[in-house]
Amino acid sequence: MSTVALPSARRIAWRRRRRSAAAAWRQYRGNRAGMVGLVVLVLFGLLALAAPLLADHAGLAAVNSTENPVWASPSEFHPLGTDHLGRSVWTQFVWGSRISLLIGLTATVLAMVIGTLVGVVSGFFGGRTGGVLMRITEWFLVIPFLPLAIALAAVLGPSVQNIILVIGITSWPATARVIRAQVLTVKERLYVDRSRALGASSGHLMGRHIMPNIAPLILANTTLTVPIAILSETTLSFLGLGDPTRPSWGKMLEEAFAAGALSEHAWWYYVPPGLGVMLVVLAFVLCGHALEEILDPRLREQRS
Amino acid sequence: MSARFVSGKVLGSLATLFFVVCFNFFLFRVVEGDPVASLFRGRNLTATQRAALTRQFGLDGSTGEQFVRYLEQTAQVNLGRSYATNQPVSKEIASKAWATIALVGISTLLSTVFGVVIGIAAAWRRRTKADYTATTFTMATYAMPDFWLGMLLLSFFAVTLGWFPVGGIEDASSNATGVAHLADQAKHLFLPCLTLTLAYLGEYALVMRSSLLDTMREDYLVLARAKGLREILVRNRHAVPNALLPVVTIIAINFGFVLSGAIAVEAIFSWPGLGLATYDALNGPDLPMLQGLFLLFSAAVIVFNLLADLLYAYLDPRVRTA
Amino acid sequence: MRGRGRILAGALACAAATVAIAVTTASGQEGAKPLTLTVGLQQDLDSANPTVGVTVAAYEFWNLQYATLTDKSSKDFSPIPGLASSWTSSPDKRTWTYKLRPGLKWSDGQPLTSEDVAYTINRARREEWLNYSQTVANITATTPDPQTVVLKSSVSDPKLPVMDVYILPKHVWSKYDKNAIGKFDGVTSVGSGPYTLDRVQKGQFWTLNANPSYWGGKPRVDRVVFRKFNNGDAMVSALRKGQLDAVENVPATAYLQLQKEKGITTLQGQQGGFDEFAMNGGAGLKKPNPALLDPRVRVAIAHAIDTKTIVNRVLRGLGTPADTISPSANPSWMPKLAPNERFDFNLNQAKQILDQAGYKDTNGDGIREMPGGGKPLRLRYAVRQESADSQPTAEFITGWLKDIGIATTEKTYSDSQLTEVIGKGDYDLFVWGWTPFVDPDPMLSYFTCGQVSSDPKNPTHYYNDANWCDKTYSAMYKQQNTELDPAKRRQIVQQMLTRFYKSATYVPLYYQGDLQAYRTDKYTGWIRQPAETGPVLFNNSSQTYANLKPVAATSSSSGGGGGSGAIIAIVIAAGVVLGGIGLVLARRRSADERE
Repeated sequence: MSTVALPSARRIAWRRRRRSAAAAWRQYRGNRAGMVGLVVLVLFGLLALAAPLLADHAGLAAVNSTENPVWASPSEFHPLGTDHLGRSVWTQFVWGSRISLLIGLTATVLAMVIGTLVGVVSGFFGGRTGGVLMRITEWFLVIPFLPLAIALAAVLGPSVQNIILVIGITSWPATARVIRAQVLTVKERLYVDRSRALGASSGHLMGRHIMPNIAPLILANTTLTVPIAILSETTLSFLGLGDPTRPSWGKMLEEAFAAGALSEHAWWYYVPPGLGVMLVVLAFVLCGHALEEILDPRLREQRS
Repeated sequence: MSARFVSGKVLGSLATLFFVVCFNFFLFRVVEGDPVASLFRGRNLTATQRAALTRQFGLDGSTGEQFVRYLEQTAQVNLGRSYATNQPVSKEIASKAWATIALVGISTLLSTVFGVVIGIAAAWRRRTKADYTATTFTMATYAMPDFWLGMLLLSFFAVTLGWFPVGGIEDASSNATGVAHLADQAKHLFLPCLTLTLAYLGEYALVMRSSLLDTMREDYLVLARAKGLREILVRNRHAVPNALLPVVTIIAINFGFVLSGAIAVEAIFSWPGLGLATYDALNGPDLPMLQGLFLLFSAAVIVFNLLADLLYAYLDPRVRTA
Repeated sequence: MRGRGRILAGALACAAATVAIAVTTASGQEGAKPLTLTVGLQQDLDSANPTVGVTVAAYEFWNLQYATLTDKSSKDFSPIPGLASSWTSSPDKRTWTYKLRPGLKWSDGQPLTSEDVAYTINRARREEWLNYSQTVANITATTPDPQTVVLKSSVSDPKLPVMDVYILPKHVWSKYDKNAIGKFDGVTSVGSGPYTLDRVQKGQFWTLNANPSYWGGKPRVDRVVFRKFNNGDAMVSALRKGQLDAVENVPATAYLQLQKEKGITTLQGQQGGFDEFAMNGGAGLKKPNPALLDPRVRVAIAHAIDTKTIVNRVLRGLGTPADTISPSANPSWMPKLAPNERFDFNLNQAKQILDQAGYKDTNGDGIREMPGGGKPLRLRYAVRQESADSQPTAEFITGWLKDIGIATTEKTYSDSQLTEVIGKGDYDLFVWGWTPFVDPDPMLSYFTCGQVSSDPKNPTHYYNDANWCDKTYSAMYKQQNTELDPAKRRQIVQQMLTRFYKSATYVPLYYQGDLQAYRTDKYTGWIRQPAETGPVLFNNSSQTYANLKPVAATSSSSGGGGGSGAIIAIVIAAGVVLGGIGLVLARRRSADERE
């Protein structure tokens, strides 16, 4: 009699996860808006990654642009024209996409990590700890984002790390609140009670039961927080609080405005960066909505 | 609403406000270098003059003494003197506040009305071309940076076509009074107001639409339809009022962010309000001005959040008992 | 019939009324209106009190309201009679006797006597008034008679007989004692200059009226209005429309466009203002990167800066490349450097100097190291947040430094933070600027050894932001401070400036002027100070205002205005009448049709 080797519990769990991921992907593919968003994101991602191939990094330095005419409109030499110092706008656009996307993604990760931690702990534990954490979250929510970001940027000084810090610090409360609400819901579910009755530790409960249930929500929330982070970075850079040594789309808008691109009719300097931001943000929003619909079928009914 | 509920909320808000006041002081102290030395660079100050100026700027004494003085002065609404103009910060803020309130107030009003209408129309005609157009349009305006939209409008309508002025609130050299003066201001208000309206309306439209779609599924509406009520009445008398609740809360909360929401847009249009004051104060930085503005913005948000909470509790009885 | 008749009558009445109004306004236009000069600017008066205020706008106001003992020639700033018509000195040149003009009056009718002059000077000295103490710190005034003032200086002062502090009316200012004067906003119409204050509307405008008691005679222009704008472009468009007669501080883009326009004169008014690239001279509280202590490295860096490109690209051509610093609004104090003394832009020469001095790139990463393969040459560059030009200038300079093998780390500071950083010596490189006075002494004093920060508790109480100490320079400073022979003094100053330049601690980048513009169709008589290169307004003596005369107006212009107004009115009236007739006919036709 041969014994059939049964796959381990873990194997089964992973197989199940892979299958549901494939199903989710199929569902996602059916969502037209989501696909459009995904394509746009991939395109911009490629643009950012392929920056060295698309534009010479040295073109960012004003000293290397002294031969170029200033405020030149788009031509075969400079696909997006030049700015007030003669630098190629296309070069700034391509390399700036890296910083804008990097800051957007990193700041979001920071916000999500802090927000999730605070949200899960305060939702799960309740009582004094939960109350205190909730109070802190509410305090942060009440202070208006832009003034707080300005104050922090003024104090910390403008650099890429500090901007990531500033956006992360000002964005986590919104996430924490949403996560906390979800954790409270999940906490009430039966299997959690049963697990606790069986003597499971808090860590086990949080790690094995709560987290997997809220993971999809975290993913969807992340996709919707990135656009906010990117818009924040654009605004902060526009106000002059971004890193002055690195190009970014917000910095291009700031320099365009300060150098008088509007009166020079130099649309090639200020239209592309804003367009880039808009498309990337839109793409993330569409993807985020598509993900939400997969997670919560009710939403699909609603939105369509 | 019980008195206990209300007083609890109010006390909470006051505590937050006090925290913000203290935070404000320490936050900006960290940035401070020596403003007297930098403002009077190259003026060969004598020791007496330097001491007098340091006292005038409130920078004498230890940090502790300065903090206590700061608390006393803030309680009396004395927010110091601006480094740039040497005028009292409270006076500067008061003179600029109404320009922002006018701009953002009108924009919020317009964006609420249009946003709600578009949201309702889109929800009602869901899945039709009109819905897709409306949703795409509102998503696009939501996705673009508001000041970038302002730059586009400014460059096209003001710089290129010349239909509108390129900035400011009025024609400074004209002596127009009365209606002509208001008309002039309205002409200057048009583009910034349009920018902010378009920027805000996306959020309202999207929220209204999803809230309405949610509500339309509710049981009591099914009952209303079963009773034979016409769709229009179902929508307007039952669905919309209930769907408006989350929108109302958002509006109330957004009012708090009104004062600080227009910083970049005011900068683009040189609209002489609190936003432009913040933008200018960042160049320096004019610390007393930044401190005063930060305090005002936070206080506004705190107050309006409180009002929103109370309003929501008033409208939705389920919350009060929580 | 009755209805139609009513319409026709109404139309005729309108026409008549319009013509009547037009004719009366046309004739009204030829009546006399006060001649007004409207000046646009973006900076507000911070205080009308000359012992408190510091802004350029405030100085312009004081120049107009308060006459000074001596005036300054618009050509070369030499002293010319003001309130005083003549002066003599004692042999040791420390005592000067000024004779006031006869019959001087304040604008309120009170006589202006030596009492007012002595009161102002002595009180300013005792109470250490801002804007005064630099001039009168060592001077005591006495009044032998109401027409004579004797000023005695306790030191040899080469600035005398120039006495350009604003003389205040004793009968107004004695009401404010030592403690009250700092809080007085200075809004008073009692003055002795060509114009006196009429109204101040903070944040919007201030107006002045011509002063009939001015010693130079009542000015032709009756009123001067200063209008504050928040937006440079709005200000320029008001100039174009004729709503402003002159503007100060034109934004660079607008200036380049205005240059091409007829009927508007643009000018860059140089008053000695300059920007410099400063290296840490090493004499302060903290030492900089050791490479900077080597004069050869500094010379190499000086050779790596292309001031012409910076002027062309960063300033859009609106500036002049500099060599030495300018210690005065008067350009004649600066020496002419010989071609071999100047550090011309030459990257190869810079690289050669560094190679020969032993700073080689031993590990091939593009950055040179200290001689003997020590630490890499990475310098800290402080960027000023407040200045719009600071960032682009930094881009160029750090780019050139990278080309010659010196790496930089940029950090942005607010002005007050940077002041502290410089005071503590905690930096290597920065770019900032100065605006000198008329006498070179203050600017020269900033680079003496005595002005290097030496007190770690109060690092910002010193002015030597080059952190450079040279004993010879400081000795020469003391010399020129008391040298009464103008030619000798000039020589000493020029030697000092050459010495400072050669140390390559400061690399002056450019001299930058005030960008101003004025209309040529209304007034003539604009005076530049200094002659040919200076600004016409907001300069040291503000002599333009009292000198302006209306451009010879042809009678047809004002009559033409009224005439065209009347023509337009008649055309409108005709249109109304025709319209009314047309309406009548139309109604009749429709009435016919109805039947």
